[in-house]
Amino acid sequence: MKLPSLRIYAFAYLAFLYAPILLLPIFAFNDGTIIAFPLKGFTLDWFSQMFANDTLGRAVRNSMIIAGSTAVLATAFGIFAARAGTRFSFPGKGPIMGLIMLPLVLPEIMIGGSLLLVLLAIGIELSILTVILGHVLIATPYTIAILNTAFASLDRSLEEAAYDLGEGKLSTFRLITLPLVLPGIISSMLIAFTISLDEFIIAFFLAGNEPTLPTYIFSQLRFPKQIPMIMALGTCLVLLSIILLTIAEYVRRRGLKKTGAKDTGGFL
Amino acid sequence: MNTRAPMIEFQDVHKYYGEYHALRGITATIRAGEFFSLLGPSGCGKTTLLRTIAGFEGISSGAVLIDGKSMENVPANKRPTNMVFQSYAIFPHLTVAQNVGFGLRRDARSKAEKDKLVEEALEMVGLKGYGPRAAHAMSGGQRQRVALARALILKPKVLLLDEPLSALDKKIREQMQVELIKLQREVGITFVLVTHDQEEALVMSDRIAVMFEGEIAQLADPETLYRRPNSRRVADFIGVMNFLPASVTGEANGHIQVEAAGLGAFEIEAAQASAAPAGGQASIGFRPETLTILYEGQTPLDRETPGTIEEVVYYGDMTYYDVKLDGVDVPVRISMRNVFGRPVLDIGTRTRVAWSPGALVLFR
Repeated sequence: MKLPSLRIYAFAYLAFLYAPILLLPIFAFNDGTIIAFPLKGFTLDWFSQMFANDTLGRAVRNSMIIAGSTAVLATAFGIFAARAGTRFSFPGKGPIMGLIMLPLVLPEIMIGGSLLLVLLAIGIELSILTVILGHVLIATPYTIAILNTAFASLDRSLEEAAYDLGEGKLSTFRLITLPLVLPGIISSMLIAFTISLDEFIIAFFLAGNEPTLPTYIFSQLRFPKQIPMIMALGTCLVLLSIILLTIAEYVRRRGLKKTGAKDTGGFL
Repeated sequence: MNTRAPMIEFQDVHKYYGEYHALRGITATIRAGEFFSLLGPSGCGKTTLLRTIAGFEGISSGAVLIDGKSMENVPANKRPTNMVFQSYAIFPHLTVAQNVGFGLRRDARSKAEKDKLVEEALEMVGLKGYGPRAAHAMSGGQRQRVALARALILKPKVLLLDEPLSALDKKIREQMQVELIKLQREVGITFVLVTHDQEEALVMSDRIAVMFEGEIAQLADPETLYRRPNSRRVADFIGVMNFLPASVTGEANGHIQVEAAGLGAFEIEAAQASAAPAGGQASIGFRPETLTILYEGQTPLDRETPGTIEEVVYYGDMTYYDVKLDGVDVPVRISMRNVFGRPVLDIGTRTRVAWSPGALVLFR
């Protein structure tokens, strides 16, 4: 940070990242339908309009169900895969792990499109269930990546010691493995939740008539008079993200403190 | 000690990892109440063998018996053994007392009784009052003690120790060696120790099995192992041994006539010859302390051979001399205690070396 040009670059970079987000709360409280300076006056109208909107309420509820289910399912699958990948060796492990991680780089539009074709072909009706299906598919690689780290840093002899001291395989997992990888599990659930919450393409393809937050927001952007309400909604979402991130970091640090492990970096 | 009942019996134990033959027909008996060590270089199968006792490794063929019962199909959590792991495997999210009492979880006793047992176990390893502390905050030596208390609280028939001292620094390690011996005598439980440190094995064990490449090369008490190694390889692995080329010239009535470079012709007892054939050229071996450098006016108890000092290594309490015996190309190592009034000799000094055929081992 000795060079002034580097400092300027760093500030410009941060401004580019966060200035648009800062505009959200500003216009969410602005008493005017046009998103432009100068500001007109303070109002909470957009928020009350947001809370009164039934379709939005349904979209939020759908998104919460989808994101919550995705978080739990993708993390559960992630635990199985990470456990198998870090602990056992079996024939075809490399290719299998590769295939599981593939959705990370596949274009979502292709995943969404092909899933839609398959679901229609076998006659499954589109609903939030099908969206959950798609979201689990794309979120699982992320959860595996996070949980791999958690499981890999777990000393194998800890489990052997518990087993040696008379515990069964299941109670060993519950008493030793689970508490030690819990911070990883929580991070994984939060990441999967976040991925699902703002995922658009798959939700757009697979939701049928059900709105989710991103598809609802997209549909409303066509109507200029709805934009301040979307700003209010965005403000709430940013706040929610910050809260989630804070919880994740708190849990992670508490886990570290409890087990005395070395801090190798986290979210904050 | 020979009258003690067998505690662990290996009967022609083989273990394959795919193509790799990790254990090649181990047959041995570990006696009840004995401090037994499995000693060998890394990759010799000693840890694998220990883990077959614990039940963490299955065996490909043969049998492992503990206290007369076959351990086939007995899982690790049902065996009368407990283990102290190389990494100690202290549960980092629990307190010291919770760690030590972990094995009592399934015990029917009341909480008060369990607490008492935990406190006793902690006292036994010198950690009285440490119970409420966080386990992860303990030092290496303390973790070791927690691991010991945790394993011993279940009163196992056999305590397995997988290189338990290798992570400690020298001072604490030596202190723990003595404490472990005392503890073993106190509790009377059979201890099986895996180590690659020959000194540690010699210090601590009643008997030692030296392993190379999945086989037991020699199983004996420390003194026999040190004085009468049954092969050059065992001799080389345990302590320092000098070797000189030799030839056997005759053999009769339990005596062997030998001629060795630098030492001339002499006779040894048949028991001094190693059982395992070395193949090719025979050689005689002797430990550095079985030779003595003679000072002015001293006379040897048995025989003497002239030589020249090539190298001097001063250790404070000891001095190591590399001496080239006349007529031999390779120097032999001689250790001398630096007792009062005995000067350290210089390189190049002509000297006489006292030796005795009784201290030699013949490898052929």
